[in-house]
Amino acid sequence: MNKTLLGYVPTRSPIYAIHPFVKLFFMLIVSLFPMFVAAPEWNMALMLAILLLMWISRVDVRTLRIYVPVAISMGSIIVISYIIMGGNHPEFQLITRFLGIKIYWERIRDAVVVYFRILPMIFTMVFFLTTSRERDLIVAMRSVRVPFVVTYVFAMALRSAGMVIEDFQIVRQAEQARGFDTTGKSLGYRIRKYVMYMIPLFALSLRRAEEFTNALVARGYAFTGEASRVKRADYVLTHYSFKYYDAIFTALIGLTFIVLLILRYGFGYFSIERSWLLNWLKDVLT
Amino acid sequence: MTDNQSFIQVKNLFFTYPDGTKALEEINLSVTVGEFIALIGQNGSGKTTLSKCLNGLYKPTSGDVIVDGLNSRTTPIVQMVRRVGYVFQNPDHQLFNNNCWDEIAYGPRNIQLSEEEVKIRVEEATQVVGLPQIYFEEHPFFLSKGLRQRVAIASILALRPQVIIVDEPTTGQDARQSFEIMDFLKDLNEQHGHTIMIITHDMPIVAQYARRVIAMGQGKILADGPTGEVFAHPEVLERTFLEPPQITQLAQGAMELGFQPGTLTVEEMLRQFEALH
Amino acid sequence: MTLAIEIEDYSWQYLNTPKPALNHINLQVEEGTFLGVIGPNGSGKTSLAYSIDGLIPGQYNGIKHGQVKVFGKEVEAYDRGQLQRIVGVVFSDPEAQFTAMTVEDELVFGMENLGMSIPEIRERLEWVTELTGVGHLLLKPPYEISGGQKQRVALAAVLAMTPQVLILDEPTSMLDPVSRRRVFDVLARLKSEQRNTIIVIEHSLENLVPLASRMLMLSDGELTLEGETREFFQNMDLLVAQGIHPPGAMRFYYELKKSGQYPGSLPITLPEASQELKGLVARTRRP
Repeated sequence: MNKTLLGYVPTRSPIYAIHPFVKLFFMLIVSLFPMFVAAPEWNMALMLAILLLMWISRVDVRTLRIYVPVAISMGSIIVISYIIMGGNHPEFQLITRFLGIKIYWERIRDAVVVYFRILPMIFTMVFFLTTSRERDLIVAMRSVRVPFVVTYVFAMALRSAGMVIEDFQIVRQAEQARGFDTTGKSLGYRIRKYVMYMIPLFALSLRRAEEFTNALVARGYAFTGEASRVKRADYVLTHYSFKYYDAIFTALIGLTFIVLLILRYGFGYFSIERSWLLNWLKDVLT
Repeated sequence: MTDNQSFIQVKNLFFTYPDGTKALEEINLSVTVGEFIALIGQNGSGKTTLSKCLNGLYKPTSGDVIVDGLNSRTTPIVQMVRRVGYVFQNPDHQLFNNNCWDEIAYGPRNIQLSEEEVKIRVEEATQVVGLPQIYFEEHPFFLSKGLRQRVAIASILALRPQVIIVDEPTTGQDARQSFEIMDFLKDLNEQHGHTIMIITHDMPIVAQYARRVIAMGQGKILADGPTGEVFAHPEVLERTFLEPPQITQLAQGAMELGFQPGTLTVEEMLRQFEALH
Repeated sequence: MTLAIEIEDYSWQYLNTPKPALNHINLQVEEGTFLGVIGPNGSGKTSLAYSIDGLIPGQYNGIKHGQVKVFGKEVEAYDRGQLQRIVGVVFSDPEAQFTAMTVEDELVFGMENLGMSIPEIRERLEWVTELTGVGHLLLKPPYEISGGQKQRVALAAVLAMTPQVLILDEPTSMLDPVSRRRVFDVLARLKSEQRNTIIVIEHSLENLVPLASRMLMLSDGELTLEGETREFFQNMDLLVAQGIHPPGAMRFYYELKKSGQYPGSLPITLPEASQELKGLVARTRRP
């Protein structure tokens, strides 16, 4: 098993054959799709497509189970907010009244559209994070010539995040070992007390920052001056070659996006009016 | 050693981490009041995991840890830490109050003691660790490593636990500092009656201070006995990738001359040398 | 023989501290020496190491007097990044000096900083992974390897830059005995195969003494003793007075010497001590 940013991928998986750039490109472009697609059934189809990709990549789809409660609560919040605070227009259709609140069709419709726009965007993100190792992110950025400083800061941030998480667990245990107990206490109390954790974490990070900087300098990394303008060999890229199918995938993704735009703006596809799902829902509710 | 003399009883303890790693297997041991124990083993042998099971930070996956009659599985951790204190290796992991006084008072306040009682405890603890009064108002972050360690120990002492577990007391310290902290722990043990357990791989220190050694490897206890006896069998120590202190090795290499394989200190070696002529 | 390091009447005081961390240090280190540096915590060992690498005064504020020269050139006279090609430092915390996402990236980082080409990097990488035994760890991220492995990676990463002077600041203080032994094994190999000047600051004398050709002691910022290893340890009184705790075997003979029962020079390694013991017992045993 290899650990990715958000889960595990088995050692044998087709996803490793893909150049990290393609994965990054996929995430960036495909997460834009829902912005141009209003009809929920299309966005749902996109979600299914991504699930399929995850399955092909042999991601353990059980890790997605943790997102289900989040998705449900998010959906409920969106529907409720729209019902209560959605737009107003004299032509809105009233469906019914509930506890004195008027429930209009248009508001529900908007909620559904928004919800099914957000979901695939999150899915694409999750797909990327569950199939990319930290190194892939760095390689993807370097292959499009993002400045070294940026990618390095990014890598160090990832590294520090890991160390902070480890520290956090130890700090928590240290507090428990002195009788710190939040069972039965109010949420406000817990929040106040959790702020305490910040202090040792800061102290540890501060102490580490000095050593970190020394280590960087000792490795010949120059922040300014002649030495900082040296041409870097980018050795890590030698492990990744851009193959013919990487080019094909990249082209396919770009092409799909262009086709989508043409269909949307040229032929009016994916709009609310032509959505059979929304029309069906409208019939059911009114 | 009958059951009711043991302060800590560990019965058939198994511990597996949530991600499936088996950390402890079939651990059985008992600790009586007043012992000075060294828990040794290679990194990853389970010694830290075991000690965290002893103070309730970790609950057993199966088996029981009974401290002062209380089962760690059913006892709230607040009760456990009043009996077993744990001093972490890096004091920075636990110091977060604005001044040393509050830092040491933190534990007693957590267990809901009255302010007068808290005051008594803090004064007692600072006296035992020898923290001068001028540091009471100082922020712990700015103190030297040695002082921070003392504040950390004081903050545990303020809870008055019978057992004190210290994680790596001498790592990163020079010789003088190491002896200072170990003499202090010895004092806690002999003058104040605490049971002391140190987690370490500093073998000369173990030889000099610990009366009992528990050696762990791959999650199991490989040896458990008086220090001299355990060190007399280096092949056991090898299984956890440790070796006896140099003076012991010197004695073991000269057994045919009459030296004892369980020699622990230079003083013992000298006495044996005298006895040879 | 070339002088790798020349320190002339050097003093350094950190800003806002009551007294200097290093006081009037005079030291000459010939190229190819393996120098062991010992002393209580706070005696200035790390400051000395940082002074040779230019971290002092480069990264720290303070007052400097005197000169620190590496291969004839003052440390401050080197351009940025130049001195680091000549002097490499391994620090004591394995966690804080691992700055990349995988072992291989870590090893390659320094070489990239120096502008080495891909074939050069590949060659060095092979050499350095073989020397330190980290070949099977190359693709692993830092959180999947132990402290001891991290230190060997740090050593490899510094060696990959082929420094002529290698400084190790308490490299094994946070490691267990096995990992400690493995780091010293690499140093032993380095000593026999290469011409680096190696300076090791350590508390663990048992491992250090067999390898060091010369030793140096600092106390309170001053250089109190320096010399060839065997001679160095004949000054036991001074060492003990400064808080040095020599290895058990050495102390045994020291005590015997103090009570007049041992006239010879103190053995400095365990094998020597064992050897000596047989002879000693034979001579002093009642017939």
